[in-house]
Amino acid sequence: MAANDTASVRPLPFKGTLISGNPRELPPVVAMSLTNSSPVTFSYREELTHDEHHASTLLSAIENLTFAPYPTGEYVVTAFASLSISSRGQPIGDYTAQTRITRPYGMYSQPTHKELDDEARAAVRGEIDRKLEAESARLAASLGETE
Amino acid sequence: MKSHLAIVGAAALALATIGCAARGKPFERADAPPDHATIYVYRPYSYNSSLLHPAVQCGSESVEIRPGAYHAFVVPAGHVTCRVGGETTDEVDIDAELRSYYVQERFAFGLLSGHPQLNPMDTDEAQVEIQSCCVQPR
Repeated sequence: MAANDTASVRPLPFKGTLISGNPRELPPVVAMSLTNSSPVTFSYREELTHDEHHASTLLSAIENLTFAPYPTGEYVVTAFASLSISSRGQPIGDYTAQTRITRPYGMYSQPTHKELDDEARAAVRGEIDRKLEAESARLAASLGETE
Repeated sequence: MKSHLAIVGAAALALATIGCAARGKPFERADAPPDHATIYVYRPYSYNSSLLHPAVQCGSESVEIRPGAYHAFVVPAGHVTCRVGGETTDEVDIDAELRSYYVQERFAFGLLSGHPQLNPMDTDEAQVEIQSCCVQPR
């Protein structure tokens, strides 16, 4: 996933302090732009919701008798992220992103929830990163105005 | 002869359906000490894979949960991985804050035996479902 490859992302043209969020669970661009003390603050929140659908037991049993690789169900993980950037208490940027990952499972294989969660988190962080990269010049200009 | 077979069949069916379900105290909220979170792992009764009860591990504790039972894992707040193994493995990461989390254990059809799943659940839905489960006897 290129968007989440930390080698391909650049830090913001300014540094900020994380006031809300887990420093180990951040979009790479934000993680690369952290400092301990700055008038610029980041507030990041991430939420995952899970869903699971499966065929009825009877239908699954009949399908399994054929030994055909039909999926018998699917996992759905939706990741939502929001990032707020402020300078001296003044909001200068608000970003949200949402991604939905769906994976089928069957009698031959089944992904783990951890794999899906990791994928959903990486995707939603990549989305935030893309928005930040597109806005980095404007954010830098805003900081110039607020200082 | 036919009546004997019917009685044996009925007894076997009764054992197979009733004997597999967990029996114990009804659901009650667990008391968690300060700085701890509670992860309720529950398994609504289903005949499917009812003879399978692989160990569910959350943090350092490991418990076999029978159909129709639940276990409250009281864990220090922070990153916790819950894991269950069988023909396939499922694991779920929880960044546990000071509140309750609900994970439903169910089994999907597998090639040779059921595939255990640990499905993170919405609190509202889980709080209704877990009422039908009893405390997993130790």
